[in-house]
Amino acid sequence: MRSTPMLKAAGLVLAAVLLGLMAVPGSYALWNSAASASAGTIQAADFRVTLTDTQTSNTTDMTLPNGTAAAIALTTTPAGALVPGQATYAGVQVGNVTNAGGAFTIRAAVGSTPVKTDTGSGLAGYLTVKAVAAGSLAQCASASLYTLALPTDLPSMAIAKGSTGVFCFQVSLNAAMPANLAGSTAGISIPLTVAQQ
Amino acid sequence: MNKMVKGAIATGVGVILLVGGGGTLATWNQAQQANMGSVVSGDLNLAATNGKWTNAAGTVIPDITAYHVVPGDVLTYTQDVTVTLTGDLMQAKLAVTGAGQDGTGATAFGGAATLSPTTLTKGTQILPDTILTPADSGVVKASTTFTFNTSTTGRTATNATYNLGGIGYALVQQAPASANNS
Repeated sequence: MRSTPMLKAAGLVLAAVLLGLMAVPGSYALWNSAASASAGTIQAADFRVTLTDTQTSNTTDMTLPNGTAAAIALTTTPAGALVPGQATYAGVQVGNVTNAGGAFTIRAAVGSTPVKTDTGSGLAGYLTVKAVAAGSLAQCASASLYTLALPTDLPSMAIAKGSTGVFCFQVSLNAAMPANLAGSTAGISIPLTVAQQ
Repeated sequence: MNKMVKGAIATGVGVILLVGGGGTLATWNQAQQANMGSVVSGDLNLAATNGKWTNAAGTVIPDITAYHVVPGDVLTYTQDVTVTLTGDLMQAKLAVTGAGQDGTGATAFGGAATLSPTTLTKGTQILPDTILTPADSGVVKASTTFTFNTSTTGRTATNATYNLGGIGYALVQQAPASANNS
């Protein structure tokens, strides 16, 4: 019983010490100074490539907002039915519209030989498709542009930031096409690929 | 009684006169100045100048917020940090604080980018444990490199962001051996 006051005193001293320690945690701090680097925020560029039908100027992004690849229907010239032994032409303009801060050159290429479909009519077998890289849309309708090109050629071209390039296509209908295929239709799909160079 | 009163008054006056002439009781004395001078404190300061971003081509980027990186980009941030240390027993450590913060979700670089640790150099590299003295006062070169990896494929990390606003520097005094921890 006589030790109770001593215990109380000891408790008070301990509490005082603890409070003292807790109250002055920063008392051992020395001089210090801080500065911000203010380096800001780095932002990545987008990777936007546009495809434009050379005849209608219809434009679409190569990659749609949902991340899927876009498809663009090209208008041929001359318009109308294709006559055996003759050719029609189309072109697509590829635009490098990235917002990259530095140099950003892309290489656009015809990804594979054209895929021809005719729903079983057989017309596709009489079609020959050639693709060439061109300097301008106006060249696409020039037969001489395709003279040295082979149907198996997969042309490519470099396109600098803010610039455009053109792929021209020639579709020829074999003069030996059977008459019973007259009036039939065929679809031609040409995959394009673009990669950072 | 009058005589006694007069006597008492005369005695009191005499005592008062004795008290009033207390100074006349002084003995030899001498005073000296301690000449301790003035105690002057030192200084510890850290000041960062405006940093500069350059790309791999060495082109200065005037506004990093208007610049968009692409795979293969290597950006370097360099900055002069002026260290001031004054004091006979002054010792301090200079360290980089904070870290870059990658974006989240669709705005994250993920593994497509690498942020190198900021280096501090003044002749030789200053490490976090390097003890600086007043002789080390002056301009320290800070450098941080951001690399957008060339191994990035597809459209990975397009429009991603990486915030480096949290990076800073801290100059912290180190207690002299004789410090009393007061």
